[in-house]
Amino acid sequence: MAPKKNAREPTPSAAATTQASSTAPASVPPPVKSSASKNGAANWDQVLQNICNHYVKETPQRIKLIDVFLLFLVAVGALQFLYCVLAGNYPFNAFLSGFSATVGQFVLTISLRVQTNEGNKNEFPGVSPERAFADYVVCSLILHFFCVNFIN
Amino acid sequence: MTAKSQDLLAGVTAPKVRTLLRVVILFFIAGAAVSSRLFSVIRFESIIHEFDPWFNFRATKYLVANGFYKFWDWFDDRTWHPLGRVTGGTLYPGLMVTSGAIYHALRALTIPVDIRNICVLLAPAFSGLTAYATYLLTNEMTTSPSAGLLAAIFMGIAPGYISRSVAGSYDNEAIAIFLLVFTFFLWIKALKLGSMLWGALCALFYGYMVASWGGYAFITCLLPMHALVLICMGRYSTRLYVSYTTWYALGTLASMQIPFVGFLPVKTSEHMPALGIFGFLQLIGFIQYVRSAISGRQFQTFLVTLLVATFGLGLAGLVGLTSLGYIAPWGGRFYSLWDTGYAKIHIPIIASVSEHQPTAWPSFFFDLNFLIWLFPAGVYLCFQNLRDEHVFIVVYAMFGSYFAGVMVRLMLTLTPVVCVAAAIAVSQILDTYLSVKVPIVDETAASSTDSAPKKAKGGLRATEKPNVGIFNNLSKVVVTGAMTIYLLMFVTHCTWVTSNAYSSPSVVLASRLPDGSQHIIDDYREAYQWLRQNTKEDAKIMSWWDYGYQIGGMADRPTLVDNNTWNNTHIATVGKAMSSREEVSYPIMRQHEVDYVLVVFGGLLGYSGDDINKFLWMVRIAEGIWPDEVKERDFFTARGEYKVDHDATETMKNSLMYKMSYYNYNTLFPSGQAVDRVRGVRMPDQGPVLDTVEEAFTSENWIIRIYKVKDLDNVGRDHGAAAAFARGQKKKKIQKKRGARVLRVD
Amino acid sequence: MRSLVSFVLLLFTALVSALSSSGTRLLVVLDAVEEKDAYSTFFTDLVERGYEITYETPKSEGLSLFEHGERNYDHLIFLPSKIKGLGPNLTPNILLDFINAEGNILLTMSSTHSVPSSLVALLSELDVTLPSERTGSVVDHFHYDTISAAESHDVLVLSCPPNVRPGLKDYFQLPGTALTFPRAVGHVLGSGPLLTPILRAPPTAYSYNPKEQADVVDPEDLFAAGKQLALVSVIQALNSARFTILGSAEMLEDKWLEVQVARPQERPQYTSNREFWTSLTAWTFKELGVLRVNSIEHHIVGDDEINPGLYRVKNDVAYKISISEYAWRRWVPFTVPQGDSLQLEFSMLSPFERRDLVAESETHRETIFTTNFTLPDQHGIFNFKINYKRPFLTSLEEKNTVSVRHMAHDEWPRSYVISGAWPWLSGIGVTVVGFVAFSALWMYSQPVKKTSAGAKKTQ
Repeated sequence: MAPKKNAREPTPSAAATTQASSTAPASVPPPVKSSASKNGAANWDQVLQNICNHYVKETPQRIKLIDVFLLFLVAVGALQFLYCVLAGNYPFNAFLSGFSATVGQFVLTISLRVQTNEGNKNEFPGVSPERAFADYVVCSLILHFFCVNFIN
Repeated sequence: MTAKSQDLLAGVTAPKVRTLLRVVILFFIAGAAVSSRLFSVIRFESIIHEFDPWFNFRATKYLVANGFYKFWDWFDDRTWHPLGRVTGGTLYPGLMVTSGAIYHALRALTIPVDIRNICVLLAPAFSGLTAYATYLLTNEMTTSPSAGLLAAIFMGIAPGYISRSVAGSYDNEAIAIFLLVFTFFLWIKALKLGSMLWGALCALFYGYMVASWGGYAFITCLLPMHALVLICMGRYSTRLYVSYTTWYALGTLASMQIPFVGFLPVKTSEHMPALGIFGFLQLIGFIQYVRSAISGRQFQTFLVTLLVATFGLGLAGLVGLTSLGYIAPWGGRFYSLWDTGYAKIHIPIIASVSEHQPTAWPSFFFDLNFLIWLFPAGVYLCFQNLRDEHVFIVVYAMFGSYFAGVMVRLMLTLTPVVCVAAAIAVSQILDTYLSVKVPIVDETAASSTDSAPKKAKGGLRATEKPNVGIFNNLSKVVVTGAMTIYLLMFVTHCTWVTSNAYSSPSVVLASRLPDGSQHIIDDYREAYQWLRQNTKEDAKIMSWWDYGYQIGGMADRPTLVDNNTWNNTHIATVGKAMSSREEVSYPIMRQHEVDYVLVVFGGLLGYSGDDINKFLWMVRIAEGIWPDEVKERDFFTARGEYKVDHDATETMKNSLMYKMSYYNYNTLFPSGQAVDRVRGVRMPDQGPVLDTVEEAFTSENWIIRIYKVKDLDNVGRDHGAAAAFARGQKKKKIQKKRGARVLRVD
Repeated sequence: MRSLVSFVLLLFTALVSALSSSGTRLLVVLDAVEEKDAYSTFFTDLVERGYEITYETPKSEGLSLFEHGERNYDHLIFLPSKIKGLGPNLTPNILLDFINAEGNILLTMSSTHSVPSSLVALLSELDVTLPSERTGSVVDHFHYDTISAAESHDVLVLSCPPNVRPGLKDYFQLPGTALTFPRAVGHVLGSGPLLTPILRAPPTAYSYNPKEQADVVDPEDLFAAGKQLALVSVIQALNSARFTILGSAEMLEDKWLEVQVARPQERPQYTSNREFWTSLTAWTFKELGVLRVNSIEHHIVGDDEINPGLYRVKNDVAYKISISEYAWRRWVPFTVPQGDSLQLEFSMLSPFERRDLVAESETHRETIFTTNFTLPDQHGIFNFKINYKRPFLTSLEEKNTVSVRHMAHDEWPRSYVISGAWPWLSGIGVTVVGFVAFSALWMYSQPVKKTSAGAKKTQ
């Protein structure tokens, strides 16, 4: 699990935290820039600008609520991972369940976000936002049960 | 038959009647599936079959007697003596828990049923459910109403599945195939709807599957593969994201709840594809999101940078962690999946199992009959109409075929997709030819069969152009008639195979007497019963591992090794004891506190599955651990032949296994007439002499021979001398010889 | 209750076997019954000690060691015989069966008689070698009796034997006394651990065949000499049956009790043959050196259940064994000889623990040995094993099999006990709390969002 996580997780999260400290409106997209900014091309500012504009303009309010929660989860996950790297993963089951609880919650929330997004309506003909939320709660409860059981 | 009744329905328009008929048909299918599996009970008796089921049965009894928590923490001190086995943590508990739950449910309903009957009948009962699950899965693939029912009946009676699920075959596969098919169905459902709930259900059933069978890795690898193929085909969708991530997040956690699996999902390479695709999907999802936000050119640079960076990091991380030992490399069984010769060289214990051998070609036809040639047609039809779920069938078909070709027992995982694909093909043909006016199907029985395949192909071509219909009544009649005949032949074949090939419990052997009546050879149970009644409760039995579970289950005596081959060294120890001289074997047996040694000998009866035929595996496995002491070469004659008669090598003749097999065998025959009927050779007049063990029991047909290990000699002689003295031979006077005397120093 | 039963049992055994711990029926095999008169003191002593003696000749019809598979006699004494073979009733196989059935044998020889072939064959099975032609005489030109054998030097006068090695019981030690060995036959022992020499010939002694080597002994043909030549040896089989070889039958005769013997340049003295044969027969017939395990207890320290069949890895275990020794009519506490120790092994295939047992307490009848230890971190089927096999003492082989199981799933420390797990625990906690808060917020704000979403749409 570690390597892939390594590849995926820290980049956005680290970026997110730096972002949070520098600019007030925290959002998910910015990490893109920082992770890919090795190029150092001038047009990356443009990209960032576009993304920000797009986000602020197009995103409904409740999606933003989800995004805040996502950001929170990313922060929690990053902290756990950082701790694991620094202090080791001694009770391995505890690390796994703690970390996967956050990751699982993250992907579930993303799924919720995707399903409730107006733009994706045609992708999910059978899923109303209410249904999506109900699914989300059920899945989260299952997830929490497994995690709590696994951490013993 | 099913097809016919279904086709007749086409004329009936009322949907309610259709539903009712469909339910009735499904019930009949389940009935057919169950009843064809009862052959073994009718032919023989209600008994647990083969080897592994005996362990499952014993474990189930323990579960029922001691409750779930005791079972969870079960330390079994009656196997793998003296190591014991942490059974609760090293088995897949799904099967036992299922039958335990059924048992308690029936008890709660005040239906007293013997746990043995539940175990015997569990596999047939679940085969009914499998048929239903196949019906559901097929219905997701096609709009044709008949395909699902056809797939269900195919699944219900296909010998490939029956081989592992006849009554009494109480093995993990009994429920695992149902779970496999049902998990796939849920996955397709989740993917189609993009629903978290279905994804979660899929994960739960995946968890159940993990709890039931080691073959869960097939799902673990197939679903990511499906996702990957979809992505590569440019079919990424948020539905895929939702269903896959939900399945993975919940399914992995669910699988880690099983003690035997534990941390494996994050530690072994087998599970890495699923994790990799999980990460990859996050990336794709994110890229997709960004793409919707920014312009094309910027997006491209962004994409390339991101992809290269991520893959580089991921690959480096994987390789690094594997080489550092955090992630276990692929297990031996997996290597043998890629290179069929691998196991033979490196892990003889895996290669020695007959069901791990590569599949012989005829067995495909034997197990699947005409489904095997309808299978490509079905896959082809999936290409015709390629949606996400059809991609799944294609991927599944490819992987299933490959693995089934590599290992006999993986035929089991291929069977469902063959049934689904074949059903799609058959229903397509029937739908095409029966679509317009409904002809009277029953009249077609007399049509010729040899023209059928061509016609069938023509039918398939025809379907490519929807505007072209089949209007010629004759061709309709011929094709449907041929199809009907094929279906009928399939049913006959399945019934024949089931009753003749797959219903034997292998604990009881059947033979035909000259007058054609059946004669039951019951040596195994005779011997196990003897052990149960004539030996101490804790007498340790040494035998080759094949019989470990049976001894544990039927004789209720501790064994040294059994079919759960977790400790290769221990098995090699037994192999060494069997293949060495008595002087070497005896200390090993003493150290392991062996009281009795059990060997299987088929020479008298011509029973080919005996220990002498398996002997080379014992030698090889022992040689793997003690290459200096046991050498396979020594068991072959100078001309490289494996002989047991006059020409047998000295090593062979002195090995404990040889001696125990042929001890006193020549006394059965007139002098010079002793014949081994398995190897078809004449045995030497002079039988082997045994010093350290004594014959305790030999079954009626000499299939099982049990020897008691002698105690140390009371007055301190070695066994050879003691036995020679008892035979009346005088001790040679060594002291008379000149030379250096052995002085006693105290 | 338990102690009462054992007490009754003890009384019962005490009544049945007045003296020997293994029965009183003694058979003496000799050429003619009249010969016993020469040994009257010896046999009278035995009768006084409670033995019922039967005298038989090898040729006697009724002589049978076994009846219906059970021993007819508990002990057997062979006096020298002139008969070459001992007949069908005393074949080596029967004698070996007698030993395997825990019968004890005292075999005496004399250089005036050749040893019967049946006994030679038996001895050869026991790894004891006799001189060739079954005859031989031990002479010593430095330790002979100057009074009775001034010429032939075949009456040996020896000091009482020291213990063969330290750490053994000193049953046969009679310090400061002398023994006579008139016309002894020496024998050579193999290297088996069951054989123990009690009295070995002095370094200057050797064995020769008076018939064939009357004049000169070729060193090549010498049977044995010095310490390799044993005069009295004992063999204890694994089942504790005892077999004693006494090289000189004549030393048991009455006549040697009254006369004095003298070595060259030493004063004459009386011998202590009688004391020696008393302890020799007492040992052979199991009046000495018989050990008995009264009870074994093992349990988890701090747990009341005695002798559980199942332990867990790393349990602290206490082991206790009570041992008595039978010595002259009664059971006494067993004390481990100086320089030896009684050990407990906790083994699976090989010992994981090997501990000296400490004599913790002693009553008038038993000694209780104990030890405490922590079980190894390895599950499996283990044995508490006492394997105490020493010369002169009946073998103690006690095996108590227990299973040592792994930690059950609920015996591991919980996560909240391990401080290292707290971050992850709080991770889950925070996630769950966040989820609940988010859900609440979501549901609370949903109606508003609906309208806003609607508004967005219109935009």
